[in-house]
Amino acid sequence: MIAIRGLALGKSHGHYRVFQDLSFEVAAGECYALFGPNGAGKTTLLRVLATLYRPSNGRFEIMGHDGVAEKDVVRAALLLLAHGSYLYDELDAEENLRFALALRGLAPTDRQIKLVLDRTAIGAFADLKVRFYSAGMKKRLAIAKAMLIRPQVLLMDEPYTSLDEAGMRLMNQYIRDIVKEGAAVLMTTHDRLRSAEVAQRVGVLDKGRLSHITVDELASHAVF
Amino acid sequence: MPFFRVIRWVAWKDLVSEIRSRETISSMFFFALIVILVFSFSFSMDQEAARELIAGIIWVAFAFTGIIGLGKSFAAELQNDCLEHLQISPAPKGAVYLGKLAANLLFMLVVEVILFPMFVIFFNLDVVEELPLLLLIFALATLGLSTVGTLFSAMTVHIRAREVMLPILLLPLAVPVMIAAVEATRGALNGLPLSLYGNWLQLLAVFDVVFTVLSFWAFEWIIDS
Repeated sequence: MIAIRGLALGKSHGHYRVFQDLSFEVAAGECYALFGPNGAGKTTLLRVLATLYRPSNGRFEIMGHDGVAEKDVVRAALLLLAHGSYLYDELDAEENLRFALALRGLAPTDRQIKLVLDRTAIGAFADLKVRFYSAGMKKRLAIAKAMLIRPQVLLMDEPYTSLDEAGMRLMNQYIRDIVKEGAAVLMTTHDRLRSAEVAQRVGVLDKGRLSHITVDELASHAVF
Repeated sequence: MPFFRVIRWVAWKDLVSEIRSRETISSMFFFALIVILVFSFSFSMDQEAARELIAGIIWVAFAFTGIIGLGKSFAAELQNDCLEHLQISPAPKGAVYLGKLAANLLFMLVVEVILFPMFVIFFNLDVVEELPLLLLIFALATLGLSTVGTLFSAMTVHIRAREVMLPILLLPLAVPVMIAAVEATRGALNGLPLSLYGNWLQLLAVFDVVFTVLSFWAFEWIIDS
């Protein structure tokens, strides 16, 4: 089973509990959109699942592997598209892609790289150092990286931020494609309109608790 | 996961980034140049006296220059959250450490190779015969400094006063390297028989092996903490 499973997951900063007793699954071939007000713990949840933070209580599994005990296997299965671009300013687009993939033991061909750079409309700037890229271009390059990696589990923290209209359409097309291939996608977002186009299920994280609503209820939900 | 491929890519990435930005090498070079100038104007020495004192001056310059480079090694990864990327990538963390170590070692050696001729000129040293031995001493001692320095650079990267903390943590541990490097360099510069200072070279080699293994082992735990 390809899934993210959070069973009674908790994380505390001192006495303050970011969230507690979270239990939900994201199945293979499913996109789950997580909403919630600022400070609700959405990003922290993603960072726990990405093995950056250790949960204080509970456990989670990625692809059937324990997120704490089998960290290496989990890291190989997932990709996190976070706020930070994870790009090196002094390298160009192609060099950044080759480096990121080399860390995963992958070696893309020139043709594969050209293809994803053209698909993300970065091709014309491929020789430019990333330090000259706008935030939107960096995000597009992150999509290109994800296209090459083809993770089984994709975690995305506010994926539409910084993207223009065409970029948002590109992002949604990529999400549709990867979900079709059987990946489990968990995104945190504030963009109801865009996320409703790709999400099959929606959750709302507020005051440390998770509730589920339908995609149709998204437009009228009042919590955030 | 091809272990050596990760080492090569991490080292390549650091080297290419540095060649293009020249941030670290230039600050290391200018710091060392100032040290040489200050010492050369402070002491007016004949060659005899210079051979006695110069070893210490060389290693003060090399060590503090190296700390500048080592401090930037992991601090540069904070840009665009790249350190986070290294942390959650499935790459073997030991390979990431060795890649970083290789790049740091090369930066330090390049600066030393540029600076040493300046010491020779400013302090009027005759080192032609001892040059191969001196290069061996520089390589062994620089590996010792960079192996612990790379680890401490990772340890202190999230500390706000990391520029202050790195030397405070690194220098006490690097004391055996510094003493051995100074003694071996002095022996070589004075043309003494190798048997008189060979034990210092052995100490450097042992330090290198022990701390490379320990740092390699500890790095995964440090980067994940």
